[in-house]
Amino acid sequence: MSIQLRQTLVMTRANFSSLPRRLAISLSMALSVALVVAVLAGFLAMAKGFEKALAGAGSPSVAVVLGGGTNQETGSDIPADAIRSIQSMTGDIGVVRNGAGGLLASRELVVPVDVARAQDEASTTLALRGMDVGGPSIRNGVALSAGRLFAPGAREIVVGSRIASEFPGFGIGDAVRLGAVDWTVTGHFAANGSAFESEIWGDLDAVRAAFDRQGQVQSLRLRLTGPSSLATLNARLTAASTSPLVAVSEADLYIAQSERISSLILFFGWPVTLLMAIGATAGALNTMMSSVSDRTVEIATVRALGFSRFSTFLATWFEAFAIAAVGAALGILASWLVFNGWQASTIGVNNASTGFQLTVNGDVMLTAGMLGLAIGALGGAFPAIAATRLPLTAALRARG
Amino acid sequence: MTQDPYIALAGVRKGYRIGGEAIPIFSALDLAIPRGDFVAVMGPSGSGKSTLLNMLAGIDVPDAGSLSIGNHRLDRMGEAARSTWRAHNMGIVFQFYNLLPMLNAAENVELPLLLKPLSARERRVRVGKMLDLVGLSGREKQYPSMMSGGQQQRVGIARAIVSDPGLLLCDEPTGDLDRKSADEVLEMLSFLNRQLEKTIVMVTHDPQAARSAKRTLHLDKGQFVERAAS
Repeated sequence: MSIQLRQTLVMTRANFSSLPRRLAISLSMALSVALVVAVLAGFLAMAKGFEKALAGAGSPSVAVVLGGGTNQETGSDIPADAIRSIQSMTGDIGVVRNGAGGLLASRELVVPVDVARAQDEASTTLALRGMDVGGPSIRNGVALSAGRLFAPGAREIVVGSRIASEFPGFGIGDAVRLGAVDWTVTGHFAANGSAFESEIWGDLDAVRAAFDRQGQVQSLRLRLTGPSSLATLNARLTAASTSPLVAVSEADLYIAQSERISSLILFFGWPVTLLMAIGATAGALNTMMSSVSDRTVEIATVRALGFSRFSTFLATWFEAFAIAAVGAALGILASWLVFNGWQASTIGVNNASTGFQLTVNGDVMLTAGMLGLAIGALGGAFPAIAATRLPLTAALRARG
Repeated sequence: MTQDPYIALAGVRKGYRIGGEAIPIFSALDLAIPRGDFVAVMGPSGSGKSTLLNMLAGIDVPDAGSLSIGNHRLDRMGEAARSTWRAHNMGIVFQFYNLLPMLNAAENVELPLLLKPLSARERRVRVGKMLDLVGLSGREKQYPSMMSGGQQQRVGIARAIVSDPGLLLCDEPTGDLDRKSADEVLEMLSFLNRQLEKTIVMVTHDPQAARSAKRTLHLDKGQFVERAAS
């Protein structure tokens, strides 16, 4: 073991052994770091959870055709003649066909509907998606958890499991008023916690009729023969209609929306956390200056015996790191216990409420933990330098 | 033929600046101490005893003049070099012992050896010998808080000599001890001087402590002065 390392180890040990003398202030430093880490972890978990919900909804093997020059379902409009042109395309257009040679496709329309969680609560906007009867089977990872699918043309709906569990009156067989008419709930579906579970699905024609949207189609979902078939489809779409049409992968559609919301969450989250981190760094600096002051005689004594400035610096810095690490660990543990799996919702896909679970995963822990350690590193650096500059004459006259 | 002094100060000037005011301590201090001497330095408060000790320890440096110990010019060394020199050539005995409270007696004594390329076994053997020498054999695991002042100072002496330095600087080594403990410590310092030929410079206010030394130097207003023997 090198002489420098030996010096550092013995001084570090001396520092830690003397921690009980300054337990309160060291604990306050650890707790302030823990608070910052927990807050950041909360924001990151929110963004991560939202990303996860939307990423889980999209499949690269499903194409979503949009019209009207937009790349989102909201605002998209596909003329009826364009749909007919696509459906009548022959040859390989990159889309899976059924036994009769028709495309595996679903025309869809999303209508925002207001639903109250309870009688005395304000209503929440949910997405009612009208789709062709083949719509659910085109999607990946969707399975009926109870009941049956809606019947063609009927005022029947199936609802995602999040809605079934969070909103009253969505039990199977219940009648629910959406818009001006009542709908019967015929089934519940699960979609691995993805954004689909925040939607209500019904027959396209029934939805269009109930909301006076006759003839309107926002998007056309198509099952691709493979993720690489999207380019083939887009090449054929240019000739399908005079109006601009574009096909995007379902995965990209949802990722783009998740990035927008996640960025918004982090746009507010990071500044709040960094402001708190500045405060915690000032607290760490104060704690470590107290530590140096408390250990003046010990530091000056070993320096008088010949210990190096560098070992003095490192030992003080390690102490700051260690306290910050304890704080970071506490913050991560607290955020995991409190936030991980917490159900939340925000206005997300198609301007409707999208539910998601806060996710405290490895990335979140690492990022939040690194910030905690950075507080220790920054807050401990100046006191560590101050420790190397203590006047050694203090050791010769001080009562140890 | 005269031998070169082990410690030599020539024309040393030293002062401090407090606020805007210059406080002179030494204007032209000369001192020669031969190897193996045991010198007590006495003087009133403010006479410069501590400043002299700090300079001999390499903790402070003269503003002008030369300061050499064993032919090494401390006044020409940088802070890091003086620190290294101190670790290998000098032991310091403090008035208030300055033991690290969280380390036991053996660990406190071992501290200077951590600066040398010695194995853990070699360090343990040397620590054991030193504690035996100061009469604390069997108390290796005791912490400072479990020891009397006299015992703590003996641990301090063991720590000062464990790396076998040629020079011991003692700053009021009996200032915090009762008479009996003080006598034991002084006896030990005399032993180290006589038997192990350590050169000792001891700052003290205690005339009885000074009598343990081979000679006493009196500092007053930054100058060594002659005193009639009492």
